[in-house]
Amino acid sequence: MNIETLFNYLKSDLSTSLPAFSPELTICATILALLFARLFNVDRRGSLISPAGITLTGIGVAFVLSVVQLGKFTDSGSDQGSGMFTGLLLFDGFTAFFRVFLLVSIILIVWLTQLSGIPDREDGPDFFILLLGSTLGMMLMASANHMLMLFLAIEMTSVPSYVMVGFLKGRKTASEAALKYVVYGGGAAGVMLYGISLLAGLLGTAHLPEMAAQLAKIANDPALMSGPTLTTLAIAVVMILVGIAFKLSLFPFHFWCPDAFEGASAEVAGFLSVASKAGAFALLVRFCLAMVGEFTEIHATPAAMKQFNLQIGVVLGFVAAITATFGNLAAYSQTNMKRLLAYSTIAHAGYMLMAVSAMMIFLSLGDSNGAKRAIEGLLYYLMVYLVMNLGAFGIVALIRNEIFSEQIADYAQLAKSSPMLAVGMLICLFSLVGIPPTGGFVGKFMIFAAMFDAAEYQPIMYAVFVVGVLNTVFSLFYYLNVLRVMWIVPADESARTAEVPLASRSGAFVAVLSIAVIVTGTIFVAPVQQIAEQVTRLVSS
Amino acid sequence: MEPDQLKNWLSLLLTIAWLLPLGGFALEIFAGFWSTRLKKTAAYIAVGCIGAGFVCSLTALCSWGMHTGYWAEHDYLTKFFQETPLGGDHAPADGHAADGHHGSEHDAHHDEHSAHGAEHGAHGHEHDESKYPTVFAGRYYQLAEFGSLQLEIGYYIDSLTLVMFTMVTLIATCIHVFAIGYMSDELTEDYVDHFVHVGEGHLHRPGRFYRFFAFLSLFSFSMLGLVIAGNVFMVFIFWELVGICSYLLIGFYTERKSASTAANKAFIVNRVGDFGFLIGLMILWTSFGTFAFSEPSAEKAAENPGLFQMLRDDHGQMTVEIADDGSHQVVLTGPEGTHKTIPYYLLVAAGIGIFCGCVGKSAQFPLQTWLPDAMEGPTPVSALVHSATMVAAGVYLVGRFYPMFTPEVLVTIAYIGAITLFMAATIAVVATDIKRVLAYSTISQLGYMMLSLGVGGWVAGLLHLITHAFFKSLMFLCSGSVIHGCHHEQEMPKMGGLRKKMPITAYTMLIGVIAITGLAIPGTYFGFQFAMSGYHSKDAIVATSLAYWGLNDQHVLLFILPLAGAGITAFYMFRLWFYTFAGEPRDQHIHDHAHESPAVMWVPLVILSFFAIFCAYDGEQGPLWGLLVHSEPAGMDHGFDPAAPGQIAVPGHHHVHEKMSGDATVHDVAGRYALAVAIAGAILAYLFYGARLLNPADVRRQVAGLHEFLVEKWRFDELYDAMFVKPVHVISGWIAALDRVVIDGFLHGTSKAAVDVSTWDRRFDEQVIDGLVNWVGDRTFRVGRSLRFVQTGRLRQYVMFIAGGLFGVLMLVYILTL
Repeated sequence: MNIETLFNYLKSDLSTSLPAFSPELTICATILALLFARLFNVDRRGSLISPAGITLTGIGVAFVLSVVQLGKFTDSGSDQGSGMFTGLLLFDGFTAFFRVFLLVSIILIVWLTQLSGIPDREDGPDFFILLLGSTLGMMLMASANHMLMLFLAIEMTSVPSYVMVGFLKGRKTASEAALKYVVYGGGAAGVMLYGISLLAGLLGTAHLPEMAAQLAKIANDPALMSGPTLTTLAIAVVMILVGIAFKLSLFPFHFWCPDAFEGASAEVAGFLSVASKAGAFALLVRFCLAMVGEFTEIHATPAAMKQFNLQIGVVLGFVAAITATFGNLAAYSQTNMKRLLAYSTIAHAGYMLMAVSAMMIFLSLGDSNGAKRAIEGLLYYLMVYLVMNLGAFGIVALIRNEIFSEQIADYAQLAKSSPMLAVGMLICLFSLVGIPPTGGFVGKFMIFAAMFDAAEYQPIMYAVFVVGVLNTVFSLFYYLNVLRVMWIVPADESARTAEVPLASRSGAFVAVLSIAVIVTGTIFVAPVQQIAEQVTRLVSS
Repeated sequence: MEPDQLKNWLSLLLTIAWLLPLGGFALEIFAGFWSTRLKKTAAYIAVGCIGAGFVCSLTALCSWGMHTGYWAEHDYLTKFFQETPLGGDHAPADGHAADGHHGSEHDAHHDEHSAHGAEHGAHGHEHDESKYPTVFAGRYYQLAEFGSLQLEIGYYIDSLTLVMFTMVTLIATCIHVFAIGYMSDELTEDYVDHFVHVGEGHLHRPGRFYRFFAFLSLFSFSMLGLVIAGNVFMVFIFWELVGICSYLLIGFYTERKSASTAANKAFIVNRVGDFGFLIGLMILWTSFGTFAFSEPSAEKAAENPGLFQMLRDDHGQMTVEIADDGSHQVVLTGPEGTHKTIPYYLLVAAGIGIFCGCVGKSAQFPLQTWLPDAMEGPTPVSALVHSATMVAAGVYLVGRFYPMFTPEVLVTIAYIGAITLFMAATIAVVATDIKRVLAYSTISQLGYMMLSLGVGGWVAGLLHLITHAFFKSLMFLCSGSVIHGCHHEQEMPKMGGLRKKMPITAYTMLIGVIAITGLAIPGTYFGFQFAMSGYHSKDAIVATSLAYWGLNDQHVLLFILPLAGAGITAFYMFRLWFYTFAGEPRDQHIHDHAHESPAVMWVPLVILSFFAIFCAYDGEQGPLWGLLVHSEPAGMDHGFDPAAPGQIAVPGHHHVHEKMSGDATVHDVAGRYALAVAIAGAILAYLFYGARLLNPADVRRQVAGLHEFLVEKWRFDELYDAMFVKPVHVISGWIAALDRVVIDGFLHGTSKAAVDVSTWDRRFDEQVIDGLVNWVGDRTFRVGRSLRFVQTGRLRQYVMFIAGGLFGVLMLVYILTL
């Protein structure tokens, strides 16, 4: 390949990649706009241009672009998707869906920051740049098609998150939390990078689509697929999964999560628990699909590889069960609401991981319909999780602004002083438990149903299923305790009361999210399910 | 109009009628009427919505009749004008009766339609290709799809739906208007509730006029949704919605202890029934895989058949096979003609389960106890919700779901109905609260409907539903008017002689009483006929049960009980009227202050009494009967021969009209008996309470035990209290009874034993049960706490945990791969 053909190749590649990459480019441009606006002092107090305004405009444009792209995919049905930038990134329906998802979540986050006043206008550009940078990383996570990109995307997401956790500079806990998060994240990244290097060395490629083919080659050769190779392969895959598990805060890689959430402001915690989870799940699904290879080749897949994938599924299922149980039990004795929600986040990562585990079991046995149902359940859950968890964190932030406390005990009699917040919290927490008629119920139902079906192939998964269902019962205890405090426990005479009326900007925020939680469990089950189904069809075609 | 256009037009009209009250509800509850409690705007909105709904429903009914050619085929208007109303016996000729077509056999110009109509009737709603379709089903919205099961919001429109819509909206409109007058004392900032004592005085609270109408609107929406529902799942949703509306309305005076208790009771008792409903739904889901009733279009039905089509063929027959192990299996026809079998008992269980829901909602034995207590709600609510519409929902569902019931389930329904109707009627005889008499009468009449459906009188039962709705809402509104006029006095022994004070109320009430008792001057004997609606429907029910008895010898009770019930009904209804309106006033103070209600209240009475007289005009040759026959499930007209495993026959129309003795048909014979019994009951009531020739107190003394038994409502409340609420009290009750009988020496010993038992019980409870619960709670909590210590917050340890975690997961992989 001489330099000219290379140049020509790059040129043609760029001309197809750049339009597909336009939402990310818009985000980059927004970051630049924020920097320049501050540089020339045009976004200070009193000016028409505000950092939040620039951010929202940028996100809005990116959102429109991604919706158009997603629309193209869903219209055309079974588009294969195309590589971007010489195949480092993949542009398909899954990518497009997660872009829209992530943009919606940061629109909600920015809306929340405008209500709660963190960050103030002075710090605005810094905060929004970090937020956008992190989002950019998540969008890359959803489209990564190469293990290098996988690593870079995770780091790109993580580094701004570290800073955002420590954003409240004056608070000691915030700085401490940020430091812990950095060190822990560094450790996890190291493990992951080691795993990547092992896997790349073993397979001779870091390109995800080629990995499965290489793996099949090794697996076909009984001499190769034994002893040291198998051990190396297992260690490598586990190490990579550790990196992703860190982002998902799965047991036993969740230690950063409660500390970071407690130290960070509720807005940042909400962002980390929703958007970052979604990106990491997208990445996990991509990685798992790459391990399995194309659906169509399933009959040609060597038995050893099937066995290996089945093992991955079972391990993920066990980790999921342990994570959910751990998260729920540890949440019992929490007194700080954000910490409680951090453990709840861990538990929910466990539930959602069950869907991925079920997907791997289905795939390893060639049941692509079952796998579709599992991904469908995961996507449904993510969409509901976005609104219900962000709703809960948002209400925590709004209450904090009124009573300057995040202790559960201080929420006493909130139902009286601010019924709207209390009812919104009730809806979100009921949905987190999974009580009908909220979206959380339908999501849980779909995931558990997939798990139940998977257990027909692999009976040990019945145990995971039972643990999952039992965990729903465990979780009632601590969620309801919060509601008990809000409604029943008498308030201290001297306690501050939060008074947020329904007809206010904050009220609108809570109302929108609460209604979204309800309708995804009642009248909008079908449309949301349809979106999930279409995206699933795109990714598995 | 093309069938498709008609379908769209009908569904549009009914959807508007259905959703308008929902819009009204949203407006009334959210539009801030609490700031202006003195205005009636909320009421006007509610009346406007439901009134417009009535107009839409009526238009839908008319256009359905016009475009499907139904009116032309059954030319009621021409018949009305051409024939004299005194035209003699309309009993159909045998040949026509056999094909189940009762529309207009005797008419000269009918002959050209005869063959057409006969075929039409025989096929029920399963029409052959050449016919214009009269049943329309479709989907508004798909809620969700789980595997092959689709949860939908859909509609199913046939003549039954249209009749129900028109009836519900009409009665609701009348009652809404009535309520404007009745509830006007809520139009205040400071409502004084004389039934609630707070400290020294009565409770003061802001008026809740707007809220009452908001609840009424929500109720109307829910009820109409239940009627239009195209599948059982949607029925269940709206079933629960009417349940919650009923709860809200019974407990409208929340501050009154009795009202909130009654609301709770109604809600909880209904849950018991709904539990059965849910089980039925689960069986249907697993064995049928669909919730839709039926798919009228043949192409779609082949692809996606409804429940009825899976179970029964075009002639309403289901196929039962005997499996190798000797059990009965039902053959279901799935999509594309595929077959599968389910056990027969499962179908029976599903039917009984769904019927359990109906038992709860329609207050049938043994779940009837909530309805009398529900009279704690304002009277318009009693009229609309607890007599005319919601409680009839159970009957409606049995009618709608009829093809799914096996003969065994039907006979259960019939016995439940018979027991209910007899029991409730006897209690009504001794009740003294005017609303409670009507409440028991409602239970009794609902029992009649259930009985009728159970013995195969599908049309008769639903006709009774419609006629009962009119005359019972009329009587409830009349009682409301009396209560309003007498300043919230409900005890009949304090009334009397009110006829002169409130004539309109008295005479409209009399119409209702005559209608419900079924008094009439039948055409057979005197050459002209005058009969109100209740006569026709009750006659048809008694006739069907007589025919049923004719086919199934052992079920004689199913004829005796309704016949006796007819007499008792006449007695207690006339008792009520004479007690309240006739004779000398018993309480001069109340009589002096009584007054006729304002026009806004009596105009609805007059409208309803018109329908109470005429709605079932001409009985089995009349339009309402004809409309209902049109929706009859396939095969009902021929009846069903005894089939395995129950060997129960279900009579068809010809059984009811075949000769019994001499010229008289089964129908005539039953009619004579029923009329004789009713007249006897009425005369007895006159002697006791009208002429006051006999003294009721004497009789009461004669049968003191029975009287007490009836006053205590057959002791059902007590029974349930004992069975479910206070099992411990039963034990102590036994001990106490033993105490009285056995010699004194044992007294202390036994009471000590009672104390011992309860202390032991308590200790067991506290230490073992509570201890166990606490232990479990404690354990999980402690595990939770100990997990907390893992989270040390030390950075160095965290990094160690990464290595440890990695090692752990690798070990897990290793263990799992072993």
